[in-house]
Amino acid sequence: MARRRKQSKGEKLETNMSAMIDIVFQLLIFFMLTLKIVEPEGDFNINMPAQGTPTNPSDDPPFPDIKVKLRANSDGTLARLEFGTRNLGNGPAAFEQLNIEILKVIGRPGDPITKDMAVEIDADYQLHFSNVINAVGACTGRVDKRSGKVVKYIEKIKFKPPTIPG
Amino acid sequence: MAKRDRSSSGAPAAEIDMTPMIDIVFQLIAFFMVITNFEQTQADERVKLPRDALAKPAEVKVEHQVVLNVGFYRDMKGEKTDAQPWLFNFVDGEPVLPLSSGSQLKKEAKLFANKQIDIKDVVVKVRADSEVQTGIVQELIKLCQDAGFEKFAMSAMSGPEE
Repeated sequence: MARRRKQSKGEKLETNMSAMIDIVFQLLIFFMLTLKIVEPEGDFNINMPAQGTPTNPSDDPPFPDIKVKLRANSDGTLARLEFGTRNLGNGPAAFEQLNIEILKVIGRPGDPITKDMAVEIDADYQLHFSNVINAVGACTGRVDKRSGKVVKYIEKIKFKPPTIPG
Repeated sequence: MAKRDRSSSGAPAAEIDMTPMIDIVFQLIAFFMVITNFEQTQADERVKLPRDALAKPAEVKVEHQVVLNVGFYRDMKGEKTDAQPWLFNFVDGEPVLPLSSGSQLKKEAKLFANKQIDIKDVVVKVRADSEVQTGIVQELIKLCQDAGFEKFAMSAMSGPEE
C-alpha cells in the first residue's frame, strides 16, 4: 500500500502539457491573425457638396480660405509645399512647419472661430496622394505628445479642382 | 482495491475537461474577428494606404458607406507592376479604371435612393494608395459628386510616418 501511494504521488506530479500547448498555440495564432489584419485605419472626413450650387452671398465666410499649395515633381514626389505665398520646402519638416503655421493662424486650438475657417488645398495632378493626406493631417490638428489625444485645428478642408496637365 | 480506486478517482472523473471547449471558443473568436474586420472595411490588400498620425479610427460607426479602393497591381515585393491605378472590388469584383466608374456610381446612388436612404447620409470612403496621383482621386470624387454623394472620408493608416 505504501508503495502504491508513492507511485500515485509520482503520477500526479507529471502534468499533462498537451492541453496547455493547445491553448498557447491557439493564442499565438489568434494574436498573429489579429495583429496582421486589424491595423488601425482612420479617416479624414470631408464634406464636399457638388460645386454647381452657388453659395449664398449672405453666408460668405468671414475669413478667406487658407491656401496650401502642393507642387509636384514629374515623378509625383513633393517638390515644395506652399503656405500662402511662402515656400515651406518639402519632406516631413515642411508638414511640421505647415502645422505650426496653421496654429499661428488660428491662435488657440478649439477656438469657435476655427469653425468658420477653411483650408483650400491646391495639389498638382501627378502628386502622390500620401502628400495630400499629410497636408490634410497637418491642417486638421496634431497629436498631443503627452496625452496622445488629438488637438483639432481646422476641420474644414476644401480642394481646388484638379488642373489637367497639358 | 477496486473499491478504493473508484472512490478516489470517481470524484475527479466527474470534472469535465474544459480544454476542447476552450479550444473551440478561441477558434470561433478568432474566426469571427477576422471575418468582421473584412466586412467592415471591405479592404483590398492591393491598396497601400498613406500613413498619418492624425488618422484616428472613427468613434462613431458609419451606417451607410461606399468604399472605393484605388490601388495598383503589385508584385510580391510590393513594387508596382502597372503604372495605371485601378478601382478594385467595386464592379462585380472586376477592377475598373477609376475615371470610367461614373455610371456605376450613379447606379450605387440609385440603390440608396430605392432603399429610402438620403444620399447626404452616405459616406464615400476613399481608400487610395499612397502613390495614386492626386488628380485621379479628385476626379473620382468629382464623379461621386456628379452621382449626388456629398460626404467623403479619406482613409489612412494611423500612426507616425515611417
